Amino acid sequence: MSQPILETKNLSKAFGGLIAVDKVDLTIDTGKITAIIGPNGAGKTTLFNLIAGVYQQTSGEILFNGKSLKHSLWYARSIKPGLNKKIFKDKLQRHAPTHMRASLGIARTFQHVHLFGNMTVLENIMTGQHTRSRSGFFDAAIRLPKMRREEENINLNATKYLNMMGLGQHARQNALSLPLGQQKLLAIARALATEPKLILLDEPGAGLNALEKRELSDLIKRIREMGITVVLVEHDMPLVMGLAEWIIVLDSGQKIAEGTAAQVQKDRKVIAAYLGEEME
Amino acid sequence: MMLKWVRKKWNYFAIAALLIFLILIPFDWFLSRYTSLMIIIGISTMVTVGLCLLMGYTGQVSLGQAAFYGLGAYFSAVLSKTYSLNPWLAMLIAASATGAFAYAVGYPIFKLRGNYLAMATLGIGLIMWILFNQLSQYTGGPDGMSGIPYLSIGGFTFDTNFKRYYLVWFFCLAILFLSQNIVRSRTGRALRAIHGNEAAAESIGINVNQFKLKIFVLSSVYASLAGSLFAHHLRHVSPQPFDFLASIKLVVMAVIGGLASIWGAIFGAGTTRFLSDEVLLGFDKYPQLDIIIYGLILMLVMIFMPEGLFVAIKSGTLWLKVNWREMPSIMKRKRKEWPNQMKHIFSRLLLIRLWRKSEP
Repeated sequence: MSQPILETKNLSKAFGGLIAVDKVDLTIDTGKITAIIGPNGAGKTTLFNLIAGVYQQTSGEILFNGKSLKHSLWYARSIKPGLNKKIFKDKLQRHAPTHMRASLGIARTFQHVHLFGNMTVLENIMTGQHTRSRSGFFDAAIRLPKMRREEENINLNATKYLNMMGLGQHARQNALSLPLGQQKLLAIARALATEPKLILLDEPGAGLNALEKRELSDLIKRIREMGITVVLVEHDMPLVMGLAEWIIVLDSGQKIAEGTAAQVQKDRKVIAAYLGEEME
Repeated sequence: MMLKWVRKKWNYFAIAALLIFLILIPFDWFLSRYTSLMIIIGISTMVTVGLCLLMGYTGQVSLGQAAFYGLGAYFSAVLSKTYSLNPWLAMLIAASATGAFAYAVGYPIFKLRGNYLAMATLGIGLIMWILFNQLSQYTGGPDGMSGIPYLSIGGFTFDTNFKRYYLVWFFCLAILFLSQNIVRSRTGRALRAIHGNEAAAESIGINVNQFKLKIFVLSSVYASLAGSLFAHHLRHVSPQPFDFLASIKLVVMAVIGGLASIWGAIFGAGTTRFLSDEVLLGFDKYPQLDIIIYGLILMLVMIFMPEGLFVAIKSGTLWLKVNWREMPSIMKRKRKEWPNQMKHIFSRLLLIRLWRKSEP
């Protein structure tokens, strides 16, 4: 049994009086497709935002590869060794911001696609390679050969992901000129370009037709074969049941069940959450 | 064959033609009477490029760029005249001090989300203008200070417009070139990503605040360099060229030049400066006319050509190149649609909807 890639312990998030995520303990196994389902307002997207670092949890902990995203080791590494660590104790207590989680290997897509409308399709994916390259203002300004090589590399990688999505002939088009289905693929390609270990897909199937959904589930399987752990939030039950190896059910912020598709379908609490409770 | 080659290398030809034109301007048999205007245009272009990077690429509006421009000019003036430092050293100190100031100001601002930068820079612009006026023991107050030394390299002094023209345009083209390189790189993509969607930019690992801060500092350094050149060009600085209207003028330049195009900055700065220094100078009966004209330009460009005049002209010529054969039929069709379109546009402009019944 290998180490789970992501664990949450007692994770809670409250917006004022509303408790959106309530003491959730999750374990997401490495290399599997996990789905998080639940009725509307169950706190699925909030959970995603907590993992991705958009929100900070009210209490609890998130462990990525066994390391807390709060006292993250590499966050400590960013402080020079000679300096007094006590001074930066406060900084170590802080939560890692979103962009640092991305460079750690957590990628995500959004419910509303959120592409860069001022760029072409290829450039969108190239931007995804940001954390895997390091040339800065100065290198760019005087066009060092190192930077040029890096740029070629980025272009090559981006083209790889572009072709994987089958968007090759649209490379030079504006990203928002694509139809919604392809925009969603592009968003996934952009997330993949960050070369993540864990990818969070927020409702990838919403707004797609039946054919596109079938292609999507093939794509997600292919992503899993690349060695990337997939977590998805999805409302489309046939898609989830056909795809997910492990399903976690949330209702009003709490985890009410988890298991394989067959186990979850039989669970009484899950049926109650979706269809309303029986009067006794 | 030859024609094909020319068409393929068209960009290089255009740049070469522009360079030759720029080199020839200060000669007596060419356009030498515009030399001093062209120097000012070059200086303005440097500030505008910074503003293009900040506004057009990163989407952060600055309404106080003249403050950094003025800071550069005053630092250079005070250091090289009062403390008789080497002008080049003064220029360097001015640029780094202005950059540090921009960093100190930007650091808290970029912790906030939204368009707080515009508000804050507006404040900085006004505060700086008051300081230039009031710190009269250093800056000479509203009258300014004169007698700033010329720049010189070794024994070669830049004491005529002819020499300074080349100095300013060397700096200007260098900055344009460097900025063009920045835009077409990983950094440039990150900046455009921030403009496109901040949440998404952050989700793929771009440190949004840091990049905003860096580009803000870079644009202020550009402005400061331009200010230093300005001080050593006129040998006189006064608060007047760095007031609020100057900031607005700079925004107008960036907007006309097309916010998302680096080379458009020359065009924007050129047209705006030409308008204010050559055309509108004739209307000295109406001294505030330029404010009205700038407001009008800003409004019209924003309504009809949100991508800027330069980009609009560029795409217009491209459209003509593709469609020139069908022009007569298009004109015929347009003539029918035109009155209706104009009515629609004017009704929007005049806010007729305000006193018409609300739509069902």
